Amino acid sequence: MPGRRNAAVPAVPEPVVPEPVVPEPAVPEPAGHVLRATSVGKRIDEAVLLLPTDVELGPAQCVVLRGPNGSGKTTLLRILAGTVPPSEGQATLDGSPVDERDDLTRTAIAALIGAPATYRDLTLVDHLVLIDSTWGQVGQRAEDRADEILELLEIDHLAERFPHELSSGQQQLFHLSMVLARPSSILLLDEPEQRLDTDKRDLLARILLDRKADGSSLLIACHDPAMTDALADTVVDLLLA
Amino acid sequence: MNGADKAQLRQVRAAILGNRSDTSLSSTLYPVYVAVIAASTYGVPASQQLFRSLDKRWLAEHVGTPAGAVVAVTSTALLLTVFRLVGRFHGPVVPPLPYLEMVVTSPMPRRVTLARYWRLSLGGSTIGGVLVGVVGVAGLAIANVASPVMLLPASLGGALLGVVVAELWLQGQLQGQFRAPPFGNRRRTSPLSGRRNALARLDITGLRRQAASNVTLGGAVLAGDLRTVRLDAARPTTHARRVRLKASRPLSVIARRDLLGLRRAPWSALYGLGFAAAGSAGLMLSLQSPRTPTMAPLFSLVLCHLGFGSWCEGLRLHADNSGTSRLLGLPYRDTALAHLAVPVSAWTLTTLVVGAGLWLAGPIGPAALVFALGAGALLAGTHLMAAFRGLPPVGVFGPHAGVPAMVFWYSKPLLATLVVGTATAAWAARAASPWDAFYGLLVGTAGVVAWGLALVDKRDRRA
Repeated sequence: MPGRRNAAVPAVPEPVVPEPVVPEPAVPEPAGHVLRATSVGKRIDEAVLLLPTDVELGPAQCVVLRGPNGSGKTTLLRILAGTVPPSEGQATLDGSPVDERDDLTRTAIAALIGAPATYRDLTLVDHLVLIDSTWGQVGQRAEDRADEILELLEIDHLAERFPHELSSGQQQLFHLSMVLARPSSILLLDEPEQRLDTDKRDLLARILLDRKADGSSLLIACHDPAMTDALADTVVDLLLA
Repeated sequence: MNGADKAQLRQVRAAILGNRSDTSLSSTLYPVYVAVIAASTYGVPASQQLFRSLDKRWLAEHVGTPAGAVVAVTSTALLLTVFRLVGRFHGPVVPPLPYLEMVVTSPMPRRVTLARYWRLSLGGSTIGGVLVGVVGVAGLAIANVASPVMLLPASLGGALLGVVVAELWLQGQLQGQFRAPPFGNRRRTSPLSGRRNALARLDITGLRRQAASNVTLGGAVLAGDLRTVRLDAARPTTHARRVRLKASRPLSVIARRDLLGLRRAPWSALYGLGFAAAGSAGLMLSLQSPRTPTMAPLFSLVLCHLGFGSWCEGLRLHADNSGTSRLLGLPYRDTALAHLAVPVSAWTLTTLVVGAGLWLAGPIGPAALVFALGAGALLAGTHLMAAFRGLPPVGVFGPHAGVPAMVFWYSKPLLATLVVGTATAAWAARAASPWDAFYGLLVGTAGVVAWGLALVDKRDRRA
């Protein structure tokens, strides 16, 4: 489809969200990763899933992807997470192609694109301890951090429930807690506000702003105008392919 | 069922059928016809071939002895237990959802509205029992091990077994309900009245759940999606929620996860233990004499495969999650291998305990114990294959492939266990030195493990 491309527009963020209420640990130095999509597009046979798109996400920045259903937001996130190869263009992390199987990509990027992997025989707190342990946290620290994250998302009262015992909104908060639990410097989130009530959306925006202030970069597909205004440094409007 | 009930049910059936003709009798008799044809065409020849392939002296020594009776009683008890367990998830009385919503929820007595579905299952189970008895004894008679006169008692015994199976299957369905049976104190209810009340005690929630599960399972089987079948059949975990996973090093926390999973599914752990203990004992004993029928290690390996598989839920859940956002800090293949730590350790421990007991008692030597321990690696490889096989290729659904191709595709991991395990076990039992066969087992195992790891990497690439 020559001539049609998705383009970024700078957003004018308005600080409508109040200060974060939950204290976080000492602010780490920004990792300095740059995630870039250069003319990235995806097609399967004749079906165009994503028009060629340019996106650049620098340290401690937030880029919000907008666009109608089917415009390729999730596909672009998958490409930038390194789980799907683009059919044209290039997706790079600090100049190297992103590939989820690569340790460096996996260490830098945490993604919530669709429902993540869960074990039906583990409780919520067990999942967070498992995630933290596989990233090298051992002992009481991992268990304390698991409790802190559940408290941060106000689901600490559900710590001993199994995933199948949660409502859809609680599931979404649980999925977010798992992504926030693992260390990362870039967060890729596909409609993180879905199924959340207004209070929880505000809470999520505060948490993400807090993450950004700590040096994390955020790339978010979002349909919520208030969250977009609160978080976005740049907005990329995707066109329907 | 009184006359008014019969008339009301006739009206209901007429309303459901509309202008269509009632084909219920022919559709009920057709499976019976197919079963009889299959039993006579394939069952009897296979049975007589099986008994002819066995060493006649060995067979004569064991059939009709106390040991033979113990095997027969144990097998029957196992069969009945399995049916009772199956009833908890898929009972004999599962009408389709529209019938449940429009008829079973009506004020008509439940024992009336469900009677037809119970009779179908009872009839099917009884006829199945008769066919099993006839096929088994016909095979023995043709192989000159039993007299043809035994066909009559075998048919009657089979029919009786079929009735008992159906009853226990129904009891399992009652036990699987969320609500307790509503009618009074069980101690005051005689078995007969309890049986009469069984259909009335089935609650609509349980019936709906099983009917919906039927639809899901039917679709999953047609699509060749065993994962959906497994997840739908399994009950959600709710045990030991207050026991927390302890933080640990990256690889050992995966093993801790699997141990916690087994603690929360204690029946699965126990089935695994029972099957693995019986299977490893059978495998070790089958290596002791060249006259032991090849069926013995083959059957033992089936038990080993089932037992080891009961401990592999963590591995299967990891495979189920491929394609989703990765949150663990370990590479995909390393996580898969870490999930094998618990089943391999459990197998080693079980085999050591069972093998040490048999060794001290005298029937086996150290070579058999080492062989059974080596079989653990084979089982690990075949369960890697099973967990990461994914969905069948499109070709399996083609018009020329059919059900056998689908069954073969899904059975490949089990077949790998049986082919490598049985061939090397038969070799070990007949060779002058069992160690050559053991090295053969190791070579076969290496191939199977490599195949399993290739499937893991394939799923990783697809993810």
